[in-house]
Amino acid sequence: MLNLQAKKWPGKLREVSLGKAGLRVGGGTGLPLHTHEAAFPHRPLLALEVTDIDPPRFAPTLRAAWEGALGKPALAAERAVKEHGADLVMLHLVGVHPDRGDRSAEQAIADVGAVLAAAGAPLIVKGPGVSEKQNDVLMRVAERFAGEGLVLHSACQESYKTLAAAAVAYGHVLVAESPIDLNIAKQLNILLGDASVDLDRVLCDPLTGGLGYGLEYTYSVMERIRLAALGGDPMLSCPVICLCGEDVWKAKEVWVPEEKAPDWGETAARGIHWEVATALALLAAGADLLVLRHPEALRRVRRQLDTWFPRG
Amino acid sequence: MSRTIATAAVRGAHACVARAESQLALAIAKHGRDRAVGFEGTAYCLPVILALTGRRVEKLGELEAALREAKGWLPEVPSEKLWLPYLGSALDAGVATLVAHETVEALKPLLGVPLAAGPWLGPTPDSILREQGIKLVDGRMPGFAACVGALPDDETAEQLARDLQERNILVFMGASSNGTSMAEQLQRRGVEMSWETFLVPYGPDTSSLVHALGFACRAALTFGGLKPGGLLESREILLYNQRRVFAFVLALGPVDDEKYATAAGAINFGFPVIADTDIPEILPSGICTYEHVVSNVPHASLAARAVEIRGVKIRTLEIPIPVRHGPAFEGERVRKEDVAVEFGGKHTRAYEYLRSRPMDAVEDGKIQVVGPELADVPEGARLPLAIFVEVAGRKLQPEFESILERHIHSFLSEPMGVMHLGQRDTVWLRISKKARDAGFRISHLGTMLLHKLKNDFPAIVDKVQITLFTRGEEVEALYPEAQAAYAHRDERMGALTDESVDTYYSCALCQSYAPNHICIITPERLGLCGAYNWLDGKAAYEINPHGGNLPVKKGAVVDPVAGQWQGINDFVESASNGAFTRFSAYSMVQDPMTSCGCFECIACVLPGTGGIMIVDREYPGQTPVGMPFSQLAEVTGGGQQTPGFIGIGTLYVLSRKFISGDGGLARLVWTTTRIKERLGERLRERCAESGHVDLYEKIADERVCTELEPLIEHLAAVEHPALALGEMI
Repeated sequence: MLNLQAKKWPGKLREVSLGKAGLRVGGGTGLPLHTHEAAFPHRPLLALEVTDIDPPRFAPTLRAAWEGALGKPALAAERAVKEHGADLVMLHLVGVHPDRGDRSAEQAIADVGAVLAAAGAPLIVKGPGVSEKQNDVLMRVAERFAGEGLVLHSACQESYKTLAAAAVAYGHVLVAESPIDLNIAKQLNILLGDASVDLDRVLCDPLTGGLGYGLEYTYSVMERIRLAALGGDPMLSCPVICLCGEDVWKAKEVWVPEEKAPDWGETAARGIHWEVATALALLAAGADLLVLRHPEALRRVRRQLDTWFPRG
Repeated sequence: MSRTIATAAVRGAHACVARAESQLALAIAKHGRDRAVGFEGTAYCLPVILALTGRRVEKLGELEAALREAKGWLPEVPSEKLWLPYLGSALDAGVATLVAHETVEALKPLLGVPLAAGPWLGPTPDSILREQGIKLVDGRMPGFAACVGALPDDETAEQLARDLQERNILVFMGASSNGTSMAEQLQRRGVEMSWETFLVPYGPDTSSLVHALGFACRAALTFGGLKPGGLLESREILLYNQRRVFAFVLALGPVDDEKYATAAGAINFGFPVIADTDIPEILPSGICTYEHVVSNVPHASLAARAVEIRGVKIRTLEIPIPVRHGPAFEGERVRKEDVAVEFGGKHTRAYEYLRSRPMDAVEDGKIQVVGPELADVPEGARLPLAIFVEVAGRKLQPEFESILERHIHSFLSEPMGVMHLGQRDTVWLRISKKARDAGFRISHLGTMLLHKLKNDFPAIVDKVQITLFTRGEEVEALYPEAQAAYAHRDERMGALTDESVDTYYSCALCQSYAPNHICIITPERLGLCGAYNWLDGKAAYEINPHGGNLPVKKGAVVDPVAGQWQGINDFVESASNGAFTRFSAYSMVQDPMTSCGCFECIACVLPGTGGIMIVDREYPGQTPVGMPFSQLAEVTGGGQQTPGFIGIGTLYVLSRKFISGDGGLARLVWTTTRIKERLGERLRERCAESGHVDLYEKIADERVCTELEPLIEHLAAVEHPALALGEMI
């Protein structure tokens, strides 16, 4: 039998604790999935995304999977954890966006409270992505839920100071997002450290391209981040979070109905395949936390994870 | 440190502590040591005392202990004969004063004096701190001004308040001078004062100003994640304020001992003092980033001067020009029939000239058009133009002039309806009729430059003044100076050799695509993309010390011929993640530099010729090595060391260090006509310098051949020197 020499690295990933109860992520000491030579104290975590309002951009087949719970974040979160087996939930505050409802910070706080209570699992809170409004709302959410260990998504190079201060002041975890760019990922972490953020409370989001829409770029950057972390670079050793579902469900391939593309197979199955394929590649590239959209995709990725990281 | 200030501060500190002691004794006599003391709505007890001493004072007895500790810091009043530096003792006196002030403020309610009354708001509760303090930390509020005393009249007071508001600076007010206070002056003018208007009156006494510092301390504790404790912790809190909270003290009206003592306390936080009266100055930097005390500042320029002294950077979000602007309009052309006014091109002299000046020689924001404006000339007029930009900055170095000047092109290309081509004295600029009709004027070119320079280069640019000359006389008058500057810069760049510096710059901007690739940029070898030379690297580091360009010390020479240094090799090893341990600056054969994929040109060894060829990215055809550019790029790029193949910036060919370890320019046997054209006369000159007769004429290009065999024949026929140099590999 082939006898591989185990590769020892000088560095390892940081371990980050999520939520009040302290669900831990990261801590790997080797290349992704190299369980034969490295220790992985925590299996990669799988999250499902729920939205504050009925999401205007969900594909019909995805909507079907959340029938009855769309725009009801607490109900959706409860299903995500209790029925679908998600380790945690990401509440995406879509409706806070000035053009998609312009919901207030108070409404966002109510949603976060309801989701926290219903899910009983750690929570990622993702802003609408418009920095001023996002900062304002996430700041207030952070203040109201001080000590809950929320994961705030996200700080970026152009706008990180507000959320950095929020994470420090109210004890939350911060996602540092970079546009598929290693240098910016590193620079942002340096800046966050400079703004007094404990890097053991930071997750790195390298920006996820879906299969066929930039996945290979994300893959390369993640590889590079992992190699740097294992090589001993403390500024790139934060666990990596990938918003897998977001880009996957934008792809033409998951939208086009089967009558328009008979060769492509059943639309509903196609979307799930697309998300699973993207997710598995991301796990191979070193994702420590995947946020998925389709419950069935999560089930299948979970099944695969169980073979890679046997439970027990 | 000024002896006068130190003496006054120490004297004031003694007085403040003595008053605090007597008030405290009074309160204890009245209420006992167990009586609770503190400000409402805060979890930080008495925040300044907490931050500076680590003591959580909740009872009068504890306050007594804190004040006793502060009293222990009081230095003696310097005697007439003491001529030693006083900074340390004055700073200690300042800290003791702040403790005394906070004691006095905390005792007020216990002694029947309300903290909030009339215009005065009293100390800030945590809820407001959370709301407003974050703005100081994340930069939405550039800083705060602690205004001590009063202005000579109400109108000037309002003007100052407006000047500060305009800059989004939070205004704290307290104390009085000449029997009134700035807050009362504003009240008389009917100015609304509240947290919403950024005008916050704390209290009528000098001690009231301690609330401003309490605010700063709590911001550090809340958002900086700092914990109070002993001396070390208090140092961290003070440093946090120095680095991050851009505050300053405005001393308005006469400054008495107590105000000096309070100012000394603020200087501990790195907050400088700007006075409108003639008090002694403390100019050298030390605790504060720049000056500590600056005096005699006219009221009209108080706000601007304070911003400059504290190093507050203010970004303009909306550049006030009447047309849309942005990088999207950069490539836009203004056609002949649409021209409202035109400068340069073939018709008139037009140039741009940026020079660095001392801080006090530049009036920030001043934009002048000398000569006719757009409205004064007929449509389609052709005018001469000199864009004269004077820039000052604490960290601006004269060698950054050319870098800033080069950005004028992109900045002036951004407004819709403005076309800008060329640089230096080859400028060609057109303003369209549409832009003119929208209200765009020549002066707006200055507006654009002013804001872009300040927004994009805040680390090095503090002040900008722009003069746009549009009359022949003035344009010609300035021209010799501009020409001399261009020549001087070129000369300097030419004199800048690898030997003349001890530091090179790295560039890791491409590591996302080529993970182990790292560029080392030396004065004589620019980055392979052609976009970054050594000066750019230096400026980029100054502008963003956490970015992709870092200074790398050369260290000991390892190999002077190939160009290897210990410091560079060590850096390369860590920056390439251990993939490479050695880099040669001057050899493409021995440990060549890696290439990402952005190279302007590829140089590769041609076996059988003793030479190399260089092909540029735009050249589509076949080359003598048997591969077109695209195929060569695969061999060369990706961050590998491939002996015999390097990616280079085109201008590297002209360097005296061009593969000097391998034999230099005499190795060049084939290149493209495009490269020859681009390098032009300068390549001819370099060839002549190399000492080989007619070298330039002997270098083949695609017009001679595109295959190896005929190339070898050609080289033999012209007796190319490479043949005699022997094979490179």
